[in-house]
Amino acid sequence: MTIPIKAEALTKSYGRRRGLTGLDLDVHEGEVYGFLGPNGAGKTTTIRILLDLIRPTSGRAQLFEQAPRSGGPALRRRVGYLPGDFTVLGGQTGRELLIHLGHLRGGVPPARIDALADRLDLDLSTRIGKLSKGNRQKVGVVQAFMHEPELLILDEPTSGLDPIIQQRFLELVAEARTARQTVFMSSHVLSEVQQSADRVGIIRGGTVVAVEAIDSLRERAVRRVEIQFDEPVPLETFSGLAGLEDVAVDGNVLRCRLTGRADDLVKAAAGFGVTTLKVEEPDLEELFFAYYRGDEVGHVA
Amino acid sequence: MLRSVFGKTLWDQRRSLLAWLVGITAIGVFYAAFYPVINNAEMRAAIEAYPEGFLDAIGFTDVTSPAGYLGSTTFGLLGPALMIVFAAAIGGSAIAGDEESGRLDLLLAHPVSRWSVVVQRFAAIVVAMAAVGLVLALGLVVISGPADLGSIGTASLFAASIQLALFGTLFGALALGVGAATGRRSAVYATVAIVGVAGFFGNNLGPSIEGLGWLADVSPFGIYLGGEPLKNGLQIVDSAALAVVSLVLVAAGGFVFNRRDVAV
Repeated sequence: MTIPIKAEALTKSYGRRRGLTGLDLDVHEGEVYGFLGPNGAGKTTTIRILLDLIRPTSGRAQLFEQAPRSGGPALRRRVGYLPGDFTVLGGQTGRELLIHLGHLRGGVPPARIDALADRLDLDLSTRIGKLSKGNRQKVGVVQAFMHEPELLILDEPTSGLDPIIQQRFLELVAEARTARQTVFMSSHVLSEVQQSADRVGIIRGGTVVAVEAIDSLRERAVRRVEIQFDEPVPLETFSGLAGLEDVAVDGNVLRCRLTGRADDLVKAAAGFGVTTLKVEEPDLEELFFAYYRGDEVGHVA
Repeated sequence: MLRSVFGKTLWDQRRSLLAWLVGITAIGVFYAAFYPVINNAEMRAAIEAYPEGFLDAIGFTDVTSPAGYLGSTTFGLLGPALMIVFAAAIGGSAIAGDEESGRLDLLLAHPVSRWSVVVQRFAAIVVAMAAVGLVLALGLVVISGPADLGSIGTASLFAASIQLALFGTLFGALALGVGAATGRRSAVYATVAIVGVAGFFGNNLGPSIEGLGWLADVSPFGIYLGGEPLKNGLQIVDSAALAVVSLVLVAAGGFVFNRRDVAV
């Protein structure tokens, strides 16, 4: 068994600007790893080092226990890559591009390309320049998956995809996982990776600040909750509940921030008539906020 | 055509390559067709009235003989000028253009080495230049009879066209090399323009300035035209020199490219 991705104390400086500041990564074979962080945190920089597009200032990066540079084309043969900004010549059709890229990878059966395009509802005979951003992104998804690589490196794969196609994309990721392919995908939105990822690494300021199994991360996540009741509710019913913060009652409406299980809140709310219930997906900033509260400091990697 | 980077490069550019091919050939043949207009007593007198220094500066020598006329116009001025612009365009797009637009990441993430990309893109440039040389030669062979240029001979027209193609290849290699080394098309265009202009005037004016005669020997124009292929046939040493310098430029560009970061 070889380790698909490993990085140790990886740094990358662009002049005086620091891209990566000592990043460690350890991605296991056959897992789906969500690489999560705000824009500018160093996600793309890390990925471009793994693909030998740029070289680290110091530290070590490895794919399948080989340095990207010395591994060369043979190493990249085992990888499928979707760039964060998928840009190709607009004058060619999707099929032209995919057949060409398939040849560079040693040949991909046309039936495989067609099947993937069908699933994503992508027309391969249209010139790429005429496609919408979402459809162009689908071409990128197909080229990353079509040769069934051992390792998929996907930089913000779902950007521009509509919700239905996002769902189909996540099915592809799940299938890859079943086939023991390893998937490394970056995102700045937790909801994009939480459905499919086994583990999540959180990157901030050029370093991985935490690695968590997705389940425990979800428990820790803070969600904004807003419940509208049929009648005004007393504040004290809710203010003492575990996991609730910033509880405020404004007439019929309860607003609060919920960390972890929703059970207590739901049971308390069930004593009243509930008109609407709104739970916002936790965003990354809330997640970081949860992470940096005093009791979590010892946990930071 | 879709099997390799080389084939795909030519395929993607097929329309613009065809346009350049037709354009350069048409202009070359058009100028050749004008020879009968110039080849008479009044024109000869008019041309002799120009100051000699001016004619030297724009490379016009012996302009009333068939070989002198074609060597001064199609092969001396417009042909190389168009080839330089063509070379800057395709050589600059080869690496730098793809890099600036963000297309290079996807290609280089595939199982193909940077050296291989440079070599295959250069091969596409060589094929494009060879195609221009071949079609131009054929066009000139066809027009040479009606245009009173028959005394030059088919072999010499092909010789000059081959050397023009090699001249274009050299500038293509320069453009590719600078683009591979820097990743910036502005650097490509600036370098090509400086080398082109300096080469042109260095070749034409260097010999008439004390101590600067060597300029013609190192100018791409001097290497390309100095042996007068229209009169003397293919110049093996000059042609080899253009080819070797081209390979050195590509190798130098590839060497730097292989060691640097690819820009986002």
